[in-house]
Amino acid sequence: MVSVSRLRRHPRQTTTFRQSPPTTHSRRTIHARPAVNPGIVTDGAQIAGETGDGVVALTDVEKRYQRTADITVEALRGVSLSLPEGSYTAVMGPSGSGKSTLLNLVGGLDTPTAGSVAIAGTELSGLSEPERARVRGEEIGFIFQTFNLMPRLTAAENVAFPLVFRGVDRTERMERARELLADVGLADRTDHRPNELSGGQRQRVAIARALAGDPALVLADEPTGNVDTETGDRVMSVLDGVNDAGNTILLVTHERRIAEHADRIVHLRDGRIQEIETVDGVNDTGDTDDTDDTGAV
Amino acid sequence: MEFGETLRLSGRAIRAHKLRSALTVLGILIGIAAVVTFVTFGASLQADVVGQISETSANNVYLVAAEDDEGFAGAGRPVFTEEDVSTFAGVEGVERVVPRGILSVSAISYGDDTVARTQATATTPAAFASTTFVAGEPFELGRDEVVLNRLAAQSFESNATVGDTVTLTLGGGRTRNLTVAGVVDGSAGELPFEAFGSQTRVYVPTDPLYNTVVESPSAGVPQRVYPQVTVVADPAETGAVRDRVEGTFPDTDAAQLVPDGFELVAQTSGDFADQVEEIVSQLTRFVTGIAVIALVVGAVGIANIMLVSVTERTREIGIMKAVGARNREVMGLFLTEAVLLGVIGAALGVPVGVLGGWAATQYAEISLTLAPGWFAIAVVVGVVVGAVAGLYPAWRAARVDPIEALRYE
Repeated sequence: MVSVSRLRRHPRQTTTFRQSPPTTHSRRTIHARPAVNPGIVTDGAQIAGETGDGVVALTDVEKRYQRTADITVEALRGVSLSLPEGSYTAVMGPSGSGKSTLLNLVGGLDTPTAGSVAIAGTELSGLSEPERARVRGEEIGFIFQTFNLMPRLTAAENVAFPLVFRGVDRTERMERARELLADVGLADRTDHRPNELSGGQRQRVAIARALAGDPALVLADEPTGNVDTETGDRVMSVLDGVNDAGNTILLVTHERRIAEHADRIVHLRDGRIQEIETVDGVNDTGDTDDTDDTGAV
Repeated sequence: MEFGETLRLSGRAIRAHKLRSALTVLGILIGIAAVVTFVTFGASLQADVVGQISETSANNVYLVAAEDDEGFAGAGRPVFTEEDVSTFAGVEGVERVVPRGILSVSAISYGDDTVARTQATATTPAAFASTTFVAGEPFELGRDEVVLNRLAAQSFESNATVGDTVTLTLGGGRTRNLTVAGVVDGSAGELPFEAFGSQTRVYVPTDPLYNTVVESPSAGVPQRVYPQVTVVADPAETGAVRDRVEGTFPDTDAAQLVPDGFELVAQTSGDFADQVEEIVSQLTRFVTGIAVIALVVGAVGIANIMLVSVTERTREIGIMKAVGARNREVMGLFLTEAVLLGVIGAALGVPVGVLGGWAATQYAEISLTLAPGWFAIAVVVGVVVGAVAGLYPAWRAARVDPIEALRYE
């Protein structure tokens, strides 16, 4: 139970997680997650019924891109989805299925053509650009496939970077950044530049950065896409720990193996939710069996 | 986002490309330095010239007949009669009146040495009232005497001294032997603009040597007539005396003798100083205007490099936006960077410009006068140039679509 209790999310506080040193991470693998039961398929009505009070609520979201005067691409055609607080959801689908569009909408980088996207109770579609930027900064933590760290900032400065735009003073920012880096096992890398870090380390810096603002939702876009399998497993175990601490995660991936880290998998196809699959056996017992001897990382 | 952090990030971006930033700064540096150099040189020149004028004789009022336009253009027509000289002497606040005429000569000889000359100045002993004599004293009217300045005395093979006799060859080949009464320093008692540089001067008494005469319209008898008269005024009311002297003009002989298209002009040293100042500052403005072109080129350099920078850092802009930066914060960041380049250029340009100005004054052999107001202006210009040059690139940065930017490789 160690990791779960220590990684609890305390909204709007800067001293969230503490955990044991990242010494035994190699023993924690994705096998911590139980096997998947792909049995449950929900239809549209059920999906609609799910929307409501979650951290993220998408209602009948449509997104069309006008490519040319004649060609309109319908990226999303009526998607409704709700992510309850503390949930771990994976989105899968072939390319062109609307995964990226969904991610951009939930992340407040884009606005829907129709329907509503609400993050932590804030409706995004009516917001101005600066207001959406604020939502991104305060409610969303992004993790990208290509890490997207600021090249000239150190690891700690990168982690602290989102807090710059929230007016947190430097001392406090850096302290929080060092704590978070320690949580992801990079306590000894705080002053390294991204180009001095390995891919896995960079992604862990990115995860720490995503958590810096204590967001309502962590958005991970193919977080293991640019690292090898073993490093990917390490990254995913960090993410698992983040979820165990109470953070809501939306993960986009095309790898089933990765998606199975989530509680449920949303299958997208042609801009519609084809199926929502619950990954079976998600329970604390299953987790702790394998992780009682280690921290989340 | 606090300003300190904006500065830190901008500074880091500038340092990340040292050579590129240095070259951009160099562009502004050259522009600002060029402006400061010319402004400094202009200020020095002005201070020097004006200083010379006011030094000579702040309480002198110069009277000439000049062409209508302005200043002393065309001065040289002999219009002021002896009658007028006494009129001016009677004006309140006038200490003395010094008439000056030009005596045409072809040569001056001392011993076996003959030196060619075109003219001598015919005047009265009053001309030397405030002049330092190296030797001797002023000549007396009615005697065959001469006063030389030091340069003139030294222009002969052996120096002429007080008591020696020099021979003046007048127009028409007539010669006249004159005794040297005194030797003066510099080129005293001349018009302000003639005081520049060191020239040889030969002064002779109006009586008996100056023979330009005209029948005085008021007195009805022939009188000497002078092209220029200097009224030495009470220093406390030079301006008022000038106005009073001007007031007597309609009743003078000069008013009747003055040719069409000419008019009588009374000017103080201060008036001269103002005119010269005006000319020098116009010149300075013109040359500085040319230097500003260099500054514009520098600004284009900043704009160019900032546009490159925005393109290069598209992904960084995307990251900033993803982690909560608003458009105006992104814009502020890039604008700060551009302004920083401008300010650094200006800060370095000012000392370089002062150095350039100093070198120019050394070359022109005048003393250095700084124009500190321009230093502040230079820094402000650096800020403005940076801001203007950075505005469009920063706006482009703010408009970057984060979705595209984050995909940008």
